[in-house]
Amino acid sequence: MPEPDFKMLARRMLDEGVRPRVVRRAVGEIRDHYEDLLVAAREDGLGDRQARRQAAQALGHPERIVAAMSAERGLKTWAFRYPRLAIVVYPLACLALVPAAPIVAGVDHAQALARWGASLLAAGLVTAGLLLVMQLSILFG
Amino acid sequence: MARSNPPFMSGVPELLLLRLLKQREMYGYELVRAIREVTGEAISLGEGVIYPVLHSLERDGALKARRKGVGGRTRVYYSLTKKGATRLERLQNDWHRIRGGITTVLESPGHA
Repeated sequence: MPEPDFKMLARRMLDEGVRPRVVRRAVGEIRDHYEDLLVAAREDGLGDRQARRQAAQALGHPERIVAAMSAERGLKTWAFRYPRLAIVVYPLACLALVPAAPIVAGVDHAQALARWGASLLAAGLVTAGLLLVMQLSILFG
Repeated sequence: MARSNPPFMSGVPELLLLRLLKQREMYGYELVRAIREVTGEAISLGEGVIYPVLHSLERDGALKARRKGVGGRTRVYYSLTKKGATRLERLQNDWHRIRGGITTVLESPGHA
């Protein structure tokens, strides 16, 4: 039995649609459980390698844990619980957000946009000034 | 070597967890040790598999969880709620009824 890869375990649970908050806590608890198993195996006199193997075996195969988590429908995100609804709601929500996207982006980058606007205004004023000078020099030259 | 559990074991971990948590609050590792001890290792669980059951019971309101610092580590302790106690009672009744039925069949000479 390979040593558990907890990051991979978390990723697999997320792939199965388990809610991120549940995944974070469950993986933390499983990691603690593994540490407890390791301590117990070492106290039984096992060497490090054997202790790790025994602890991983007692914990169970990661895919079985993922399958057990995935079987609990109530622990999944609503999109995984109601996939047909999600297929309809998500695109509609995205479509509804399209007009609001520039505003949201504008609010997020308000300072940069203000600087950009001020620069454009300054450039416009300089250009207009130059054109006015040229025009005046033609008229009175 | 622990024997694997037969397929009709589905639902038994839930019953055991609720029963053990009726006595006192426990964290996952403690619960697995307690199951092993109480059942004389007759029931073997992939130990990581109890967490989905615990989380599901918590979501249903049968258990509540709280973090508690013990020996420099933070543990998630589970305890039974009123709803959980009712659920346990129902599961126990179901279990006794089914066990009674199966025992009758197994011990009846006509079905041997």
